[in-house]
Amino acid sequence: MKEFEYYRAKNLKEALNYSKTFGKNKRFLAGGTDLIVRLKDNLIKEENIIDIQNIEELKGINEVNDEIHIGALTTFSEIIESDLLKKYSPLIVEASKKVGSPQIRNKGTIGGNICNASPAGDSIPPLFCEDAKLFLESSSDSRIVNIEDFFIGPGKTILKDDEILVKIIIKKWKKGESGFFNKLGQRNALTIAIASSCIKIKKSDGRIDDIKIALGSVSPTVVRAKRVENLLKNLKEFNKDELIKICNEVEKEIDPITDVRGSREYRIEVSKYLVFEALNNSLNLRG
Amino acid sequence: MKKIKINFILNDTQIIDEVPVNITLLEYLRDYHKLTGTKEGCSKGECGACTVIINNKTYNSCLILIPEIDGKKVLTIEGLSKDDVTPLQNSLIQEGAFQCGFCASGMVMSLTDLLSKNDSPSIEEIRESISGNLCRCTGYKKIVDAVKKISKS
Repeated sequence: MKEFEYYRAKNLKEALNYSKTFGKNKRFLAGGTDLIVRLKDNLIKEENIIDIQNIEELKGINEVNDEIHIGALTTFSEIIESDLLKKYSPLIVEASKKVGSPQIRNKGTIGGNICNASPAGDSIPPLFCEDAKLFLESSSDSRIVNIEDFFIGPGKTILKDDEILVKIIIKKWKKGESGFFNKLGQRNALTIAIASSCIKIKKSDGRIDDIKIALGSVSPTVVRAKRVENLLKNLKEFNKDELIKICNEVEKEIDPITDVRGSREYRIEVSKYLVFEALNNSLNLRG
Repeated sequence: MKKIKINFILNDTQIIDEVPVNITLLEYLRDYHKLTGTKEGCSKGECGACTVIINNKTYNSCLILIPEIDGKKVLTIEGLSKDDVTPLQNSLIQEGAFQCGFCASGMVMSLTDLLSKNDSPSIEEIRESISGNLCRCTGYKKIVDAVKKISKS
């Protein structure tokens, strides 16, 4: 494994100080399920590893009025077991169940998943559907950004060198809201998504009041399918043929690559189907 | 290379050591303590052969840097029982659940963790608990059968 200097931050202030000192030349160690593999493969050029795992301020799932605050260090296992999230944000729970394996879910964190900025990050499409806000802090400042504005490209975010993601803020689900997350991989466990989709719907009087559709692994970042959302919002009747027609429009919202997991063409076709399946499920589900 | 002091419990024994920061728990177990029951498969967190239990949860020891282990309680296959095999291990043997055996220690650790939390798991729960452990010989059926046999219900 590559050689590096290791620092263990006891609290957020200490982590932010290290952050300020080392700037670009550091990596945070959260769950490490990605970082340690990359350290072994000599893909990390930074020389300082700052272990943030013991920082209490980055942990915990809390109810704050009509919001749920998820600490960046929350593991996927903790998300799956959280009664608060099961009740108020079930899409994040469903997506977390699809992450890696039990061992990976015990270690991997939602903050790490976000900051890695992989277009295939399983927790990201539901966060797009929830309009999640990210609370970022530096030693001198703090700011809140919309999750959709956070990603610039694969592995690239707007997080500054001296900043740290502290928590993720989502609004609690309200009455009439439902949703669906689906991920296509080569197998069920331990798989990186070929494509994934997440939708959140708010219905009233049989009409779609509001809908958000997010797609993973089919563009340089996770993307919203806003055009499809608008077509659905205007829909008076939900029949299969009409839905299939609208789902074909997904093609115009994504820009997938061809890689070992699937070709561009396959990803386009499969994305249409994933959105259709999600709609089909959600429209029959509670709401 | 900078070294770091670690103080932790390994299979009921307190360990105080000074080690390079850039080795994994897996390397430390195998190379420093000759605890070679924990296997190195993919070394990328995908095969589960290196599964150990830390503070009552399963982890891939290949994805843990040794400094992370400070203050923790680590259980490996060697620490499961002092003299004989556990009832779970016995059932796996009786069922002929393994062929080459490379995945066995990881499987046993994942299943030990499952049974410590749920003494009557369903087939689905058993399969889920070993979804992070790859076996390329048996097709998992006999492993699941062996667990089912000793589950309470």
